[in-house]
Amino acid sequence: MKILLAPLDPVHDAGLKLIKRKLEALGYQCVLLPPDITVEEIGEAAVREKVDMIFVGRTVGYNVEQLFRRVRHVLTAQGIFGKVRVAIGGMAVTDELAKNLGFEAGYGPHTTIEEIHALIERNPELAQHITHPVKHKPQFPFPHDNTVKDSTTQKYLDQIVDGILDWTSNKTSPGVVRARITESQLQEVKGSVESYTALPFTRDYLAQCDEAVVDFFQKNICPPSVRQITQKEADAYNRRIDIARKNFHPRALQHGRKKPLVFVQYGTGCPMMDGMHIKVAESWGADGVLHFDPAWGARTEGLLDGFLANVEDGTPVTYANLSLIKHSLDAATLWTVRAHRGLNTPEIAVLAGFLGADMTKINIGYGSICGGTDPARLAVDGTEAIRIAARYHMPFDIPTNEELAGVPPHKAFAGMLVMAQLGRRLNARPILKPLLCHGPYIMVHELMEQNYVDYNFAKIRALQTLADFPIWPGEPIGFMTHTEEKEQSATTTSLHVALCATLGLDAVTTASTDEAFSHGPITSAGRVGSLRSIEEAFRFFGQTEIAPSAKANDWTEELIVGINRTLKAVAEAPSFVEALYQGILGNKEDGVYPGRAGRNSVVAARTSTRAAAFKAPLDAVPKVSALGK
Amino acid sequence: MTTARDTIVDALDIESFVLCESEKDAKELVGKLMQSLGLSRFVIVSLDFNGPGAHFRVRAYMNKPGENYTWLKE
Repeated sequence: MKILLAPLDPVHDAGLKLIKRKLEALGYQCVLLPPDITVEEIGEAAVREKVDMIFVGRTVGYNVEQLFRRVRHVLTAQGIFGKVRVAIGGMAVTDELAKNLGFEAGYGPHTTIEEIHALIERNPELAQHITHPVKHKPQFPFPHDNTVKDSTTQKYLDQIVDGILDWTSNKTSPGVVRARITESQLQEVKGSVESYTALPFTRDYLAQCDEAVVDFFQKNICPPSVRQITQKEADAYNRRIDIARKNFHPRALQHGRKKPLVFVQYGTGCPMMDGMHIKVAESWGADGVLHFDPAWGARTEGLLDGFLANVEDGTPVTYANLSLIKHSLDAATLWTVRAHRGLNTPEIAVLAGFLGADMTKINIGYGSICGGTDPARLAVDGTEAIRIAARYHMPFDIPTNEELAGVPPHKAFAGMLVMAQLGRRLNARPILKPLLCHGPYIMVHELMEQNYVDYNFAKIRALQTLADFPIWPGEPIGFMTHTEEKEQSATTTSLHVALCATLGLDAVTTASTDEAFSHGPITSAGRVGSLRSIEEAFRFFGQTEIAPSAKANDWTEELIVGINRTLKAVAEAPSFVEALYQGILGNKEDGVYPGRAGRNSVVAARTSTRAAAFKAPLDAVPKVSALGK
Repeated sequence: MTTARDTIVDALDIESFVLCESEKDAKELVGKLMQSLGLSRFVIVSLDFNGPGAHFRVRAYMNKPGENYTWLKE
């Protein structure tokens, strides 16, 4: 097939030059006319060259409709229009405009060569992957050795992990008991949301709960900021999700890179608002999402149940809420449910596992000294949660947001590596989640006065030197570098993403442009702004890399020494739990202290009166409806 | 859905530049602007005063998490 490419601009024929090169690569014979030609000369060239098809391009937007009317008029007068196929393109051209004027098709500035190829061959399937893209869920985490490389680090970690397993081996807690009751009930109903929410709650479960949870189930009293979602709302919501799904065209942000995958965190308070934010994030290229629960949920013994909305930050973890969110997800979207920091850690891991979550989140150290949970309690519950994660084949990530409270990175990273090694010992798949932030320790020690590159580079290089686990910075990246000004916020997020791409990292958790805005809920538009900026950063840097200064090497060495020094101190402590109480992984001087929630709730596995209730005969308590009336 | 406003997922942001002589003036002007538009549930997200005036972004919430969303109306 022979194609004539005709520019109707005085000089702007770059688009047609590009099309010519690509069509010739596909095997077509192309004739590109020079700029500064008349419409009549296009027709004359078509006859002279005996072409099968003409593409007329007009880059400049003004007067475009009148100009193309004249093109059709002249080509018709020359006896060409109707015999030779004619399509038009340009900045102001749409397919609708072209067809209204009688042309075969019209193309705007974002048209791909695949779409032009499909038109030429009259075969829409040639552009199917462009016009109807399909995104597949990646196998995540990406392959790593999952081993500690540094022998000194390995030695300390093994000592510490031996101690944790020994210390927790004969202990249990209300959280562990509830997790087993919940798992048993979910097995009984084979994971069915309807059947599970219809089950009566047992006194065994309520015996392990705080009064607020007991009141919820027995007296239908919701916590102050929580309300039940009605059936009518849920039905209307599901219809909105169906519409979103029907019109969904997935995007890939990475511009040819395989990683880092881009995650966004949600937890507006309401699973329906979360679901809509998730649909927005998926549509603008997010590869995965993370569920965040409210702070009070982490400090209350027991989980609520049913479809619940919270008017404050954090969406209540219930089996029904999680199932509603799961239903909202695209098949390609990776889903993480945070379990790590509170009194319901093992039970949330069970819910996540039953619903097929891709990952969960567990960190004993962070939850103990920053999350408000007693170290002994979280050592028991966190270890159990890792076992649950392994049983449900859920990798778990280990956030180190201790840095936000002032803990130096070497201490936070030491705790993270302990969790990773504990995870490996329990046959789970840990993911390191360092925080790339301008945190208090970094500010006070002026480690980022010159740039945000060198110290972040050193942090990641230190981890990569010591061990080979997947690394997924969060939560979110660039923490405390954002301002309320949206362009600044989107820019700092996207540059941190670019840095993570240079470092070869597996994934990133990213903020919306509302990250620094604290006077109200974040918005869906803020998610779009940030994801568009990230897409542009990937486009800008491509496969190139950001280079740190020599200072990064010095800091890498300092961090490695600091991590091993901390691990040595933990290994020499009477136990890991005692190390947390003593502040070896972060103390009051740093800005953190052991949590109190759940203190004195750890008991010997066989003598607990509360735990013994688990074995008592079932005594059913009517449960409130999953949906409000 | 009954109105275009009902289709807004969460909030309507308005960004512009007002001519004024101080940050305090700018905040007052933005408040008056939002009241004149009938958008009383608003919050200033960012405001940067310098030289001739202030660059601002103000947010009017249509649907906050946990409320009865307008986009779920039949």
